[in-house]
Amino acid sequence: MSGSFAVLCYTGFHYFILFFILPHGRYANRLRKGELDQKRTGCSTEALSSYKIMGQIEEPKKAFAFLRPSCVLLTREPSVKNVDGLKARLQHVSNEALQQLQDYVLFPLRFVLKIPGPRQEAVVQAVMEVIRYVLENSCVRTWESLRDLFSDLCLCLCSPDDPGKPASVSEELKVAELGCLDALLHAAYGDVVFHLYEPSMLPGLGAAVSLLLALAQEKVRIVQVAALKCLQTLTLQCDCSQIHVDPSPEESRLIGSSLASFLPGITQSLSHVISGDVRQGHGVTVRAMKVWYGTVGIAMADSQLEDAAVTEAAGTPELGRIRELMAHRSSDWTSRTSERLLILLQRIISHTSAHQHWRVRQELVNLSNYLLSNCSKSLGECTGSLLETLVGAANDEEPSVRDSCSRVLKEVAQRSQSSSCKDLTNFLSENLLGLASSLPRLMRASDDQRKLFVLNIFLGYLKILGPQIEMVLNSAVHLQRISKALVQLLEMDVTDVHVVEERSLVSQPGTGSENQGPVSWRKNFVYFRDEQIIAVVQEICRMLGRYGNVHLLVDHFLSLYKESSVYRKQSALVLNEIITGAAGVCLEACLDQRRSASGQDLKSLVSLITEEYTSAENWNLPTTADRSMTEDQDEKTAKSPGNLQLQAHPKTRSLTIQHFNSNIWQICIQLDGISSFALALGADFQLLLMALLYPVLEKAGDESLMVSLAATSAIWSMCQACGYDSPKHLINSNADYLLNDITLNLGRPSVHPHAPQVLAAMFEYSDASLLPLLGDIVEDVLAALDLNYDQRAPLFGALIHSVMKALIKWFPTSARKERAATITKMARTEFNARHFVLEHKRQKELAEGAWTDELEEQDVYPPCQQENDGEKTNLNHISISKNIMERCIHLLSDPRLALRLKVLDVVENCVHLLSEEGDELLPLVHRCWPPLLQRLTNDHPLAVRRAFTVLCTMGETCKDFLRKRVSKEVMPKLTASLSRQAVVSSKAAPIYTQTLAYKLQLTVVEGLGPLCVSLDLADSDLDLVWDACVPYLSSCQPQKLQDACLSTFHALHQLDPDSCWLTLSDLYSPEPDPPPHCDLWPPPLRASAQINEFTENVQKLLQELQ
Amino acid sequence: MARPPPDPLYTLRGLGAAVNTLHFSCSEPARPLLFSGSSNGAVHIWDLTTRRSQKVLKGHADSSILWLDSLSRENLISQGRDMRVCLWSLAEGRADVTDSLFADSVGFCQCSLMQGGQGTWLLAHPTDCMEEVKVIELPTKAPLGSLKPESKLGMVMCMKLLQTNSGPMLVAGYEDGTLVLWDVSQRRPLSSLKAHLEPVMSLDFDPSRLKGVSGSAEQTICSWTLDGQQVLQLQEQVELVNPGISQLCLRPDGKILASAGWDHLIRVFGWKKMKPLAVLQYHRDMVLSVTFSDHQDPKQRMMAAASKDERISLWSIYN
Repeated sequence: MSGSFAVLCYTGFHYFILFFILPHGRYANRLRKGELDQKRTGCSTEALSSYKIMGQIEEPKKAFAFLRPSCVLLTREPSVKNVDGLKARLQHVSNEALQQLQDYVLFPLRFVLKIPGPRQEAVVQAVMEVIRYVLENSCVRTWESLRDLFSDLCLCLCSPDDPGKPASVSEELKVAELGCLDALLHAAYGDVVFHLYEPSMLPGLGAAVSLLLALAQEKVRIVQVAALKCLQTLTLQCDCSQIHVDPSPEESRLIGSSLASFLPGITQSLSHVISGDVRQGHGVTVRAMKVWYGTVGIAMADSQLEDAAVTEAAGTPELGRIRELMAHRSSDWTSRTSERLLILLQRIISHTSAHQHWRVRQELVNLSNYLLSNCSKSLGECTGSLLETLVGAANDEEPSVRDSCSRVLKEVAQRSQSSSCKDLTNFLSENLLGLASSLPRLMRASDDQRKLFVLNIFLGYLKILGPQIEMVLNSAVHLQRISKALVQLLEMDVTDVHVVEERSLVSQPGTGSENQGPVSWRKNFVYFRDEQIIAVVQEICRMLGRYGNVHLLVDHFLSLYKESSVYRKQSALVLNEIITGAAGVCLEACLDQRRSASGQDLKSLVSLITEEYTSAENWNLPTTADRSMTEDQDEKTAKSPGNLQLQAHPKTRSLTIQHFNSNIWQICIQLDGISSFALALGADFQLLLMALLYPVLEKAGDESLMVSLAATSAIWSMCQACGYDSPKHLINSNADYLLNDITLNLGRPSVHPHAPQVLAAMFEYSDASLLPLLGDIVEDVLAALDLNYDQRAPLFGALIHSVMKALIKWFPTSARKERAATITKMARTEFNARHFVLEHKRQKELAEGAWTDELEEQDVYPPCQQENDGEKTNLNHISISKNIMERCIHLLSDPRLALRLKVLDVVENCVHLLSEEGDELLPLVHRCWPPLLQRLTNDHPLAVRRAFTVLCTMGETCKDFLRKRVSKEVMPKLTASLSRQAVVSSKAAPIYTQTLAYKLQLTVVEGLGPLCVSLDLADSDLDLVWDACVPYLSSCQPQKLQDACLSTFHALHQLDPDSCWLTLSDLYSPEPDPPPHCDLWPPPLRASAQINEFTENVQKLLQELQ
Repeated sequence: MARPPPDPLYTLRGLGAAVNTLHFSCSEPARPLLFSGSSNGAVHIWDLTTRRSQKVLKGHADSSILWLDSLSRENLISQGRDMRVCLWSLAEGRADVTDSLFADSVGFCQCSLMQGGQGTWLLAHPTDCMEEVKVIELPTKAPLGSLKPESKLGMVMCMKLLQTNSGPMLVAGYEDGTLVLWDVSQRRPLSSLKAHLEPVMSLDFDPSRLKGVSGSAEQTICSWTLDGQQVLQLQEQVELVNPGISQLCLRPDGKILASAGWDHLIRVFGWKKMKPLAVLQYHRDMVLSVTFSDHQDPKQRMMAAASKDERISLWSIYN
């Protein structure tokens, strides 16, 4: 028939004209005008450009005339050359013209395909290319031509012997044929293409589908891809850039019901393809997955299945045997199919969830998303696997997969939360609990990667459940199971010795001025090492806190915390995260804007937890085998065996490294908790500072580095939460809270041995504005010291040392004194007789108490009142230093050297502070004298050295009050020892300068001069000093000693220039000055002008002092 | 062995002068407050939530504050040694003296305030005559009478107004150790009891048990009852180690009694049988005042003690 039809065509062109005049309104309705135009004209930009270059034939008649010879030639003689000729001519015909001449052009091509006998592959391939070209540039408007072409192409694809199998031809040909088929399906008009899916077409379509599936399973990648592409197009799932037809619901149902017939075949074979050899490349797998879920999605779509049963039951009666081919999509069918699909799906998931290429994993996410959103009801059984897949992929290493997955998860979560999907919730919570109960086992058995995966799934379930977590946790059993799982999971590894060994270098609560941010320390867990795992666990806890009932959770974990020390650390970790989660911090842009627990609630919960954390038995844990502490406690225990409950840890010694490690971790976790609570509560945390600031500060000074670091970071968090810019600011503003704890704890040094340290740190950070409060506390300190002289004195010694340091800082000795100092300095530098006399007079008056400085007089009245005001506040610090100095009198003779040194420092500071209050100072100095004398004359060199500096300071302030004592009790011994040492040092090796004796020597030689000046020593005392100092002018002495001695001579020269000159001249006199008058004798000098060891220094001095 | 006595919950510091008197104001819903009056004339308002001084009122020129009470949440009344009684308005963050009364007493006797009816209060205050007590009605300041014993009892040292079935009464303690029960409306003494040998320093009365307690400069605390005939009868005497009670205070629930001692100690007794319960040692100077908070929530109730050592200690005991 087609042969005669062809003849007809060639003879009568009119037939064609007639054909084209037929109204096509129907089609136009289907395919919107824009689409149509685009389809016709814009199908290929290449064609367009070539048209522009070459000038294409627009007119159908001309085109017809132009094409006719090649068509005729091709029908007569089918050869590659002729086909190419036609192709070349086709290039010159515009798309519009081609559209009109479509059937005419296709006819010879189809004719070639139908020539009986063995085909020439080359010719067929060329023909396929031309057909493809035609189809790509025109539309198929009639069902008949679509059907004919479709069956022709299918025939070409299958082997002539067995229509069910693909022909054994070259891959290129197959690809060309498949491309052609694809082009045909794309070219088909919107309404025409749906005829393909009508029940009557089932056999043909089935044959095509099975052919394509067979091709898709071939071993050649390009064929596979092409076949899958065709299948995609056939199932209306094409993802190419061309315009596709949008099926109406009815048409979708049509497609769905016909595809349902092939569903078993398609899914089965494609899952073979998907789970096939990895070497087939990801492109094939991805495409196969697309077709798979596309087909399943259409055939099993919820929207279709709802009424499919009804419409299909009616069916069309006249189908006969074809009816048997049709699948009847009843609910029975649905459930059966979904069972089978579940098996296939699981196979697909297991093969692709860990696929190496991310596109495959991405496609898996798409698959899950597509099926979950389209077929959640029909594929009920599969929901679990799909969700698990999604949840598992949520932490894919490829960011794009992660992103899309989390997006999908969010959608799913929203869907499940918004619709009261009871089933989904139940299902999820069951899965969750199942996972929770298997977690501990998994944690022991599997590797980190697997653990991470499982935990991610756990987290994903929580995310999907969202607010419904609360319902799940309301069951005591569930809560118990989840909490057990978490607690077991978080068991910490406490065998690391380093944790115990790391000591902090900061001797005092190191809230340091250095701007260190929060430091975190790696925690070691028994069951895993991976950092990511702990992050996931934290996230899990936060999710629980976020969506669960916080009160219930806190209550539960707190009771676990109290229950046993085994669970303590873990429960604390969980609690910390729960509160963080409940406050809504650190959660990636929350799934929804749900209420975070109210501030008041949270605050009360936090105070509950922190109360537990900072209670003595959980906070004052021994972190190191501190010897002194143990000793103290042993002493205590021995002394008061009945008072055992005050002993925090009487058995310190018996503890092992593990215990210490565990204790350190517990404290660190608790500190971390406080830190995160602070961040969670923000400004609300201010009130908790009252209870927490002291404990945290105390820990900042802990000996264990880790504890100290954790505390420091907690302090920074507190600063951040309460709006302080630095720990200093924090401490300063909350000194009253701190002081309260400190005073209480000072009273019980055995339980709170660190109170003095905290106080010392506080002194360092606060300023004079706190003096009223500090004065109060110093009294407490001293009272505590009075009660604990023997044991705690070193600690308190350090403390009063810091107090005095702070006071010196806050009350620098007044300007008056400085001025006096500069004046004397001036006097010293430019010495002249008049000045000397004036100065002497002034000093004398000064000493008598008459203050007649003009400068001062000018503003006597205004400052007078200020001074009165000032006196009030100053009184406080004066009385503090007075009190402290009184204590020092006793401590000066303490058997502990370190303490003696500290106390000497303190005394020096006290003397400085009291320097303007002679009435207070002098009696104290008097009382201090005996022990100080002992230090000066009869003690360790270190103490002597310190004592000597104290003496110098005292000399400066007390002046002649000390003169007699010094000259009587100190000078003889001091000078004697100096002279003794001079012999040693003059012969010593250079290493001598590193010794204690040398340093002492240096200090004394240096200080002697100013001391003599301030004490105004004279005559015999000075003689002693001269004698002692002279040996140090020797060039044999170490250079520094010589320099010091020179400065001493300078100082002494002020006191008594004559004897100075005489002494020097005694050593060496280059050339005695001629007597000022001839009546006078030249002075009888012992020394000659002979150069000796003293020459250099003496000369220098004589020149300078002239 | 008994547990060691607890430490104070918190210590309020920085007052800079001896603290003479304390008064809690914890009515909901506002934040609980504690008022303290110092010997330098300052009235500190402490916020018990933050435990910090919120404000300092100065209205008695630098003379010592003797007594503080509040008419309502926003109205504070203070008595100073400048012989004045001042009414303060604290509403909306103000701190103004709205009214004042010249009591003209140079003694140390504290006033006593009692709610009469809706919006009226009775105030008993000492006067220029050392033995006399005047009762007036607030806020009208209308005098209700003057109570002056006929016999020589010496200065009035302390007093407390009570509401009984037969009208308002006043128990006053005098310099010679006598307690006198006055009928305020009839202005006559109902009975008297020579409870102490030394001046009565402080007294408190429990209207539900009709039982009172008084402390003096000596070593005993006496409890006495008021029988049906309105007669004071001595009931029990508790001997202390050291003499001198500055103040006695019954907890509003009538379960415990606290005494502020000159020996720096706060003693706590069971009120029913006067059983000594605890000796709280914290202050380093005479304890001048002790009082209980009236907070709604029993858990947050506190006891506060003020001392000459310029500190106020807050205690949480037997809650």
